[in-house]
Amino acid sequence: MSILEVRDLRKVYTSRFGTQQVEALRRVNFSVEQGEYVAVMGESGSGKTTLLNLLAALDKPTSGTVLLDGVDTASLPEKDVAAFRRDHLGFVFQEFNLLDTFTLEDNIYLPLVLAGKSHKEMAERLAPLARELGIDGLLKKYPYEVSGGQKQRAAAARALITEPRILLADEPTGALDSRSTDELLSLFAQVNRRGQTIVMVTHSVKAASHATRVLFIRDGEVYHQLYRGKDTNEQLYQKISDTLTVLATGGEVR
Amino acid sequence: MKKGFYLRLALDGMRKNRRLYLPYLLTCAGMVMMFYILYSLAYSPAVRNMRGGSTMAMILILGTVVMAIFALLFLLYTNSFLARRRNREFGLYNILGMNKGNLGRILLWETLLSALVSLLAGLACGLLFAKLAELFLAHMAGETVGYALTVEPRSILAAVLFFGVIFAVLLIVSLARVGISKPLDLLKSEAAGEKPPRANWILALLGLLILGAAYWLAVSIEAPLTALTVFFIAVVMVILATYLLFIAGSVALCKLLQKNKSYYYRSDHFVSVSSMTFRMKRNGAGLASICILATMVLVMLATTSCLYFGGENALRGECPYDVSFSLYCDHPEDCGPEAPERISELAHTLSGGREKDLTVYTLSGVSGLFRDGVLEMDGYSRFADLTSSASVLEKIRTVYLTPLSEYNRLMGTDYALEDGEALVWSSKKAYAYETLTFKGCEPIRIRGSVKDLPFRVPASETLVTMYCLIVPDWTARAAELHDFTAGLEDPLIKSDTLQLCSFDLPGVPDEEQIRITEEIVQSALDEQREAGLSFSTMSYKTRAANRTDFFSMYGSLFFLGIVLSIVFVAAAALIIYYKQLSEGYEDQRRFGIMQKVGMTVKEIKSAVNAQVLTVFFAPLLLAGLHLAFAFPFLHKIVRLFGVLNTPLLILTSVICFLAFALFYVFVYRSTARTYVAIVSAGEEGR
Repeated sequence: MSILEVRDLRKVYTSRFGTQQVEALRRVNFSVEQGEYVAVMGESGSGKTTLLNLLAALDKPTSGTVLLDGVDTASLPEKDVAAFRRDHLGFVFQEFNLLDTFTLEDNIYLPLVLAGKSHKEMAERLAPLARELGIDGLLKKYPYEVSGGQKQRAAAARALITEPRILLADEPTGALDSRSTDELLSLFAQVNRRGQTIVMVTHSVKAASHATRVLFIRDGEVYHQLYRGKDTNEQLYQKISDTLTVLATGGEVR
Repeated sequence: MKKGFYLRLALDGMRKNRRLYLPYLLTCAGMVMMFYILYSLAYSPAVRNMRGGSTMAMILILGTVVMAIFALLFLLYTNSFLARRRNREFGLYNILGMNKGNLGRILLWETLLSALVSLLAGLACGLLFAKLAELFLAHMAGETVGYALTVEPRSILAAVLFFGVIFAVLLIVSLARVGISKPLDLLKSEAAGEKPPRANWILALLGLLILGAAYWLAVSIEAPLTALTVFFIAVVMVILATYLLFIAGSVALCKLLQKNKSYYYRSDHFVSVSSMTFRMKRNGAGLASICILATMVLVMLATTSCLYFGGENALRGECPYDVSFSLYCDHPEDCGPEAPERISELAHTLSGGREKDLTVYTLSGVSGLFRDGVLEMDGYSRFADLTSSASVLEKIRTVYLTPLSEYNRLMGTDYALEDGEALVWSSKKAYAYETLTFKGCEPIRIRGSVKDLPFRVPASETLVTMYCLIVPDWTARAAELHDFTAGLEDPLIKSDTLQLCSFDLPGVPDEEQIRITEEIVQSALDEQREAGLSFSTMSYKTRAANRTDFFSMYGSLFFLGIVLSIVFVAAAALIIYYKQLSEGYEDQRRFGIMQKVGMTVKEIKSAVNAQVLTVFFAPLLLAGLHLAFAFPFLHKIVRLFGVLNTPLLILTSVICFLAFALFYVFVYRSTARTYVAIVSAGEEGR
C-alpha cells in the first residue's frame, strides 16, 4: 500500500464575501511509496503550497481525499489533527520557523515534549541525529546566533526526531546560500537513503534534481512526472530544465 | 499644497495607527481634564469661601503639582512607545526620499494635531466635570455650593500653557529621536534578532534583599513623624526593588525553572516557561510601573477613605464634648469656683436648658521625661515635639493634678486621702511606682489607682502616656508645681492650670451649637470686663466647628485620593493596553509556528493564556503585598490624624484592593480582546 495517496483533490478558495472563487487545485491524483523522495515543482501561484497544506492537514480540501497510511486526514476531528500531524509528519519550511525563545536543542525537543516523552528519551534520540546533521556543537545556541544553513539543519532535526512517516519540506532551500543548499540537499538524500520518505515542494531545479521523482504542477493540476530511473543528479537536472522550458512555452509534454 | 501634504501624511499615519493613537489621545485629554479640574478647584472662589477652604485649596494645589509631574512623565513614556511603533513607517518614508527635515514636519503636524485634539476635548470635559467635581468636593466637606456653571479663564490658560509645554517637550524628544537614528535602523523590524535574556542573579538577589529590607523598615517604624524620612527611604527602596524584581528577578526565576529538566520538559510548562522569559525581559519595566501605580492607588485610597469615613470617630476622640470651655488661671490660688459656675449658668440659659452631661473640673498639668517615678521637666523642651524618636516619646509623660473633692463629687465616691498622697489614673499601662515626684518638688505617695475619670479625655492627650493624679491638697500641690516651673529658665516649660466646663448639646444642629457657644463667649467676656470674672484667658472648642474643619481636610484629601487614583488607574490601564498590543504582534508569529509544529489551537491558547495571566496579575499581587507591608505605617499615620479605628483601615484596605482588582480584571479582559483580534488576524493572514 502507498504511504500517501492523493485522490481527485480539489481546493477552491472563496473570497470573504463569496463573490470570487479561485480554484487552486483540481483533479490532483498521485501516490507516494515508502522510501520515495518526491519533489513537487511549479511556478509561484501554481498551487504547490496549497497542496502541501492539504497534505499536512493544515487545510481541508473542497473535495477529494488525502490518505496517509490509509487514514483520511480530512475526516479526523480537529482535536486529533494536531496530534496526528505531530506523530506522522515532519515539517521543514523555507523560513525555518524556529521559535526564537528556544535554544536549538529545545526547538528540536518541542514535538517530543508535546508528545509527552521523558527528557532522557529525548536526549537519547537527539544525540545521533544531531551528529548526522552536524549540529551537535550548536545545540545550546539560540536561533539568532547561528547561520541560515544551521537553522535549517536544526529545523530538519526537529522534523526528523519524531521519526515521521513522511518528511514534508516547503521550499527548504529557498532562504539558503548555495553552499548551505548543497549541504541540506545532500543531507536530505542521505536520510532518504536510510529509508525516510520525503515530499518536497520547490521551484529550484537543483533541489528537485536530488529527488527520485519529480511532479510538475501547473494551474492547479499535476501536469507531468519525471522518474529518475538510473539518471545522475546532473542528468535529472537537465531533464527537469527541459520540462520546465516546455511548460513555460506552453507546449505539451509527452 | 505642500503644507497640506505633510498634514495629510500626519493624519494618515494617525488614522492607520488608531489602535495606538486613540488611547493615547484619550489619555492626553483625560490628563488635561484632570489638570483643569484640580487647578480650577484649587483657585475657585467657591472652594476658598468654604470653611477650611484654605486648607482645601492647599491640598488641591499639592494635588495639581503631583498631577502635573505625573502627566509629564507618563506622556513621555507613552510617546516613546508610540514612536517605537512608528519607526518602520518613518524608515520607509526616509528610504522613499524624505529627509529628516520632512519627517520632522510630519512629527510637527502630528504633535500639533494631538495637542489640539487633547486640549479641546480635555477642556470641554473639564468644564463639564469641574462643576460636578466641585459639588462632589463640597458634599464631602459637608458644604453646599451653587449649581451655576462657571468658566475659569485663568485655569484654561494654565492648562493650555502647561500642556503646550509638555507637547513641546514631546516634540523635541521625538525630533531628537528621529535625528539620531539611521534610516536602516528605522526600517528594521522591532522583533529582529532579539537576544535571549540572561538571568542577572546579582540584580535579582539584590532586588529580593532590598525588598526585604524595605519591608522590614516599613514594619519596624514606630514613631510615624520622625520616621517619615525612613518611610520615604523605604518607599524608594520598594520602587527600586519592584523594578529589579520584575526586570531581573522574573528572568532569573524562569531560568531556574528551565534548569529543572523534569519540570521544564513537559508539554504544559515547556512553551510557557521559555516564552515567559522573553516576555518578562520585554515587559519587566512596564509591569513594575503598573505595580507601583497600583500600590500608590491602593495606599492613597485606603488611607484617605479611612480618614474620611473614620473622621466622625476621630472628631469624637478629639472633641469628646459638643462644647468645651477652658478657663486658664494665672495661678492655682486664683482659681475660684465663680467663673466656671457662671459659664455653666450661661450654658443653661442660652441653650434653653438643652445641655447634657455638663461637667466642671479643674486640672493642673505639665509634661516631662519620666524615669523611675520621677518626672523631669527641665530640659524636656528639647524633645517636646512629636518629631522626637520613638524611644524618647516612650519616656514622655503628661501628668495632671485634679482635686479629690471634685473627683468624689462628680463620681459619687468617698475616697479619703492624707495630704501628700494621691490616687492615679493612667491612659496606658498601670502606674508601677510607689511615689511620683515632679523633680524639684515634694514626692507624692501613690495610694492606689482608679479606672475611670469623671471627665472625657481628648484622644490627642493620650498619644503619649498620660497620668492623672487625684490629690486632696490640690491648691498647695499645683501652686508648688507652678512656682517651681515658673522659676525654670525655659519659658516653654510651664505648668498650665485650667478649669474646664464641658457639655453636650444633643439634638441641636451644628450651626445653632456654634451660635450658642459664641453667645456664651460674648456674655462671659462682657461680664469679665464689667464684673471681673476671675480668669486670665478663655478658650473654647465646639465639635460642630471642628467637624467642618475635619471634613474640609479629610474630604478634600479623600477627593484628591479619588481624583489621583482615577488618573493613575487610567495610566495603568493604558500601559496594560499597550502591552497587550505589543504582545499580540509578537505572538502572532509564534502562534503560527507552534501550530505548524503540531500544537493544537487549544494548547497554544492555554499556554499563552497562562503566560499572559501571570504577566498581568503578578503586578497586582505584588501591589497587594506592598500594601500589606505598608499597613503598619499607614495605621500609624491615620492614628496621628486621630483615626484610631484599626478595623476600619483594614476594611478600607481590603475593599480598595478588591475594587482595584475587579477594575484590573475588567481592563485586562477588555484589552485582551484586542490581543486576540491581533493574533487571529495573523492566523487569517497565513
